[in-house]
Amino acid sequence: MPSGSGEQLWDPVVRVLHWALVLSFATAWGLGKFGPDQMTLHFYAGYTVAAIVVLRVLWGFVGPQTARFASFVKGPGAVLRYARHLPDRKPSNTWGHNPVGALFVVGVLLVLALQILSGLFADPEDYINVGPLAQYVSSDITRKALSLHEPLSTLLLVMVIAHIAAIGFYRRWKGEDLVTPMITGRKKG
Amino acid sequence: MRKVLLSALIAAVPATMALAQSAEEETAKARRAFYTMLGYEMGGLAAMAQGKVDYDAETAKAHAADMVTLTTLHVGDFYAPGTSKDDLPGATRALPVIWEDMGAFQEKGQAFGAALMELNAAAGEGLDALRPAVGKVGGTCKACHDDFRAKDF
Repeated sequence: MPSGSGEQLWDPVVRVLHWALVLSFATAWGLGKFGPDQMTLHFYAGYTVAAIVVLRVLWGFVGPQTARFASFVKGPGAVLRYARHLPDRKPSNTWGHNPVGALFVVGVLLVLALQILSGLFADPEDYINVGPLAQYVSSDITRKALSLHEPLSTLLLVMVIAHIAAIGFYRRWKGEDLVTPMITGRKKG
Repeated sequence: MRKVLLSALIAAVPATMALAQSAEEETAKARRAFYTMLGYEMGGLAAMAQGKVDYDAETAKAHAADMVTLTTLHVGDFYAPGTSKDDLPGATRALPVIWEDMGAFQEKGQAFGAALMELNAAAGEGLDALRPAVGKVGGTCKACHDDFRAKDF
């Protein structure tokens, strides 16, 4: 697989969705934690995150090769093989998501989906910040959703930190720049 | 046979005791009933503010006035000691921090009361006046729930 070539590693849809997710997730998270008690803007940010997750999952089936789940989600054998070489002090030169990173991609999409659902069904009983789907389910479910929403936000923060730490590890330890391709679409030659 | 009857009797005693309600449980029940009524009136106003039912000035004024009336109750006994979520698991979501930091809890109550006064004044003045006032009261609900109420039983 070419690594230094001018070929496109990440297509524009993947890149736009990635950075849109960065912005909308940061907005939703920040507003949820520190925002006003009337959480209208948090809701809009959450809907944006939801749209991004839905689009990314669809793109994972119909997008170009590096965007497709089928091309990067690997079995435990491939994951372990890759993980064994993770400490090597050289670039991985993976074309697309590596098998370990793939676990993170699927994991973060799943946790985001759970977080979106828990927000949609949560009812904090303040009459103004009620999830739009809460009215269709029992109060047992709205309370479960409510009690999941905050712990999941902490889990997502941890995942974001782990993601950034991994990027830093590749840059410093393995000498591999993963940020530029996510901006320009191409690896530096 | 006698053994069976005897063990049935022995088993029935704690079961009957569990059915009897303690004073603390009665308190938690009354407290939740109080918030249920507040929520009922607030729900009527929120439905108007969100366009789920048509705005009606008289109905809105009645909802707001009932909330004001409810806040004139002597609520102190609703917060008797020994009635937190830790004391009565499954019966209430009131966090022990209410009793540990009663001052902060009362501040939340005062913020609610102040917002409710504005709502009471705005309720009959049209939908445009009602909506922000409902939002403000709802915000004080949330602010208190965030700190003093568990998300689930």
